Amino acid sequence: MSILDDPAGYWNDLTRAEQGVTASIALFGAVLLLGLVTGGLNPTYFLFLVGLAGMYALMSLGLNSQWGFSGLINFSVAAFFGIGAYGAALMTSDSAPILGGFDPLFGLVVALSVAAVMAVLIGVPTLRLRADYLAIASLGLAEVVRLLVLNEREWTNGSGGVRGIPRFFDNWPVLSTFPEAMPGLEIVIVPGRVIELGTPFYQMVLNISLAVIFVAASYLVLRRAHRSPWGRVLRTIRSDEDLARALGKNTYSFKMQSFVLGSVIMALAGVFYAHLNLFVSPGDLNPITTFYVWVAVILGGSGSNRGALFGGVVVVTIREGTRFLNEFAWIPFDTAPLRLLMIGVLIVLVMKFRPQGLLPPQRELIWPGAITGSETKPERHTNQRPGGDSNE
Amino acid sequence: MSVLELVANGLVFSSILVLGSIGLSLIYSIANFANFAHGDTMTVGAYSALVTFGAVGSLGGSVLGLPFGFFVALLVGAAAAAVVAVVTEKVVYESLDIGSIGLLITSIGVAFIYRGIIQIRFGADFTRFDITALRPIEWLLPYGIRITQHDVAIVISAAVLVGGLHVLLQYTDLGRKMRAMADNPDLARISGIRTKRITLVTWVIGAGLAGAGGVFLGLFNQLAPRMGFNLLLLIFAAVILGGIGSIYGAMLGGFLIGMISQLTPVLEMVGIPIGIEYSNAIAFVIMVVVLLVRPTGIAGEAT
Repeated sequence: MSILDDPAGYWNDLTRAEQGVTASIALFGAVLLLGLVTGGLNPTYFLFLVGLAGMYALMSLGLNSQWGFSGLINFSVAAFFGIGAYGAALMTSDSAPILGGFDPLFGLVVALSVAAVMAVLIGVPTLRLRADYLAIASLGLAEVVRLLVLNEREWTNGSGGVRGIPRFFDNWPVLSTFPEAMPGLEIVIVPGRVIELGTPFYQMVLNISLAVIFVAASYLVLRRAHRSPWGRVLRTIRSDEDLARALGKNTYSFKMQSFVLGSVIMALAGVFYAHLNLFVSPGDLNPITTFYVWVAVILGGSGSNRGALFGGVVVVTIREGTRFLNEFAWIPFDTAPLRLLMIGVLIVLVMKFRPQGLLPPQRELIWPGAITGSETKPERHTNQRPGGDSNE
Repeated sequence: MSVLELVANGLVFSSILVLGSIGLSLIYSIANFANFAHGDTMTVGAYSALVTFGAVGSLGGSVLGLPFGFFVALLVGAAAAAVVAVVTEKVVYESLDIGSIGLLITSIGVAFIYRGIIQIRFGADFTRFDITALRPIEWLLPYGIRITQHDVAIVISAAVLVGGLHVLLQYTDLGRKMRAMADNPDLARISGIRTKRITLVTWVIGAGLAGAGGVFLGLFNQLAPRMGFNLLLLIFAAVILGGIGSIYGAMLGGFLIGMISQLTPVLEMVGIPIGIEYSNAIAFVIMVVVLLVRPTGIAGEAT
């Protein structure tokens, strides 16, 4: 049974929270569509936002594999994001103070490798620590990384940042000329509002496909990993590390693997950001990014990959939506602090009223075959009918 | 810059850190979570004092280059921080049943709320107390020490506050109860101590000291909405170095971390190429090393 065969049955089969989230996504999508069609929302800018959402979704997926699955409180998300962004920037930019001029694909590999090595270096001392100490220590080490990027001018160009980063597909045979080759379109749906689709739009289309590839690849890898025996050990560690140890698992090694995997995905977000923004600066390593990603994960539901995707979109909506508010003259102050306030209120409300998040993990952690084979039928609204796999 | 001057600066900065560390350590041991909103509680104190000082003015006389009005503002700042912390405890933390990690995450949200409100009201820019900057004290200049009377006032006030806390803890009934609770909350409760009341008193004292520390930080540097959050990791470093839950450990840790961060230029004097821009990084690395080697800190009991 899929959503196309039996929409009503599919809808009834969702939990209450899923129904709510689906409805709000539909409503939100409709508002965006209206904005696009009437010309109120620039399509290029809209795609840029989609790219940002993909970037946050990647980081949330990475953090989810650390916090949601293994219970590691990692507050150095921004540092790994920054390592990915700076790795890609320094490898590929023409004006990079060191290296530079390499192919973006090579830059991607190098950036991810550096992130993996850094994850091991940070993980070796901190992963043995108690949960709350790990939080403080990782935040401290992330600050050390930020200070290094800010102050080692001969390597990173300091506060000036790195410019001149090529687009990801600049060296590719067809894709490099794709944006110029596409015809410029002018669409008029509402009279007087012209929607222009020119070269920048098609460049953004390429960026978005890159984001989609990154997110989809990470999502599939993580989903496979978390359903595997490896993922089960991680979830055991999260709920009871002593139990996992008593069962003969080397929990330190499993935590390290999970930490490195998550950090590499965060670095992937950084690589994407470098090729989207074409400029990176030490400000990108600001700890606020870490907390944005945390909001995304706890709002979506710790341990739930689709929750992490949803949380990433919500965070970008808050981040960019508050910028949009600045256009209303009747708000008598700059709306930047409003963003901070909203994020804070959101954290407190989620922790107070729904600490498990909006979309806590349910069926996604269970092999479909395991449900089919079971003799007892789960109750309605548990979203775990026998054989109900096709909607994933 | 002479080493003596660095030591003097370290002393002033340490005083501020000690005031922040005590509260964080108290709350860590009694409420049992790492309170990431503690730094922003300091910011609340500083801005409350700024508003009060603007309202009451200088009030005639002055001590150590600081008008009486400033001390009124200091008290109001500490009181405001305490009130805000108690309200937060009542409204947010008390009703939560999500473990220490959940409280830690919640406190980050609380920190953002404090900072967001302050920034909406005062903007993101730096401000200063409306007090004329003083010239360095003349008779110390020959020794290469350039500190102002304001710096001396900070150290003396911090010493008075810390001394008062010491008397409270050692010689009063309330202090004994607080120490008992920090040591073992269950045992304290079973001995008939009203632990809820003590928890509230702890929030008042911890946040009040943090508020005072924030006011001094504003006097020492400037006021900015990020001032407290920027100091937070140094305070964590101090608390962890001293040993979580130990009030005297927090004092010692605050003193050491303050000194270390201000004495960073000495490294370059002796030929180690680590500049002053890494003073915070050094403190954080020390923090991680302490966590690894001796997680109970200097003053904590070895387990």
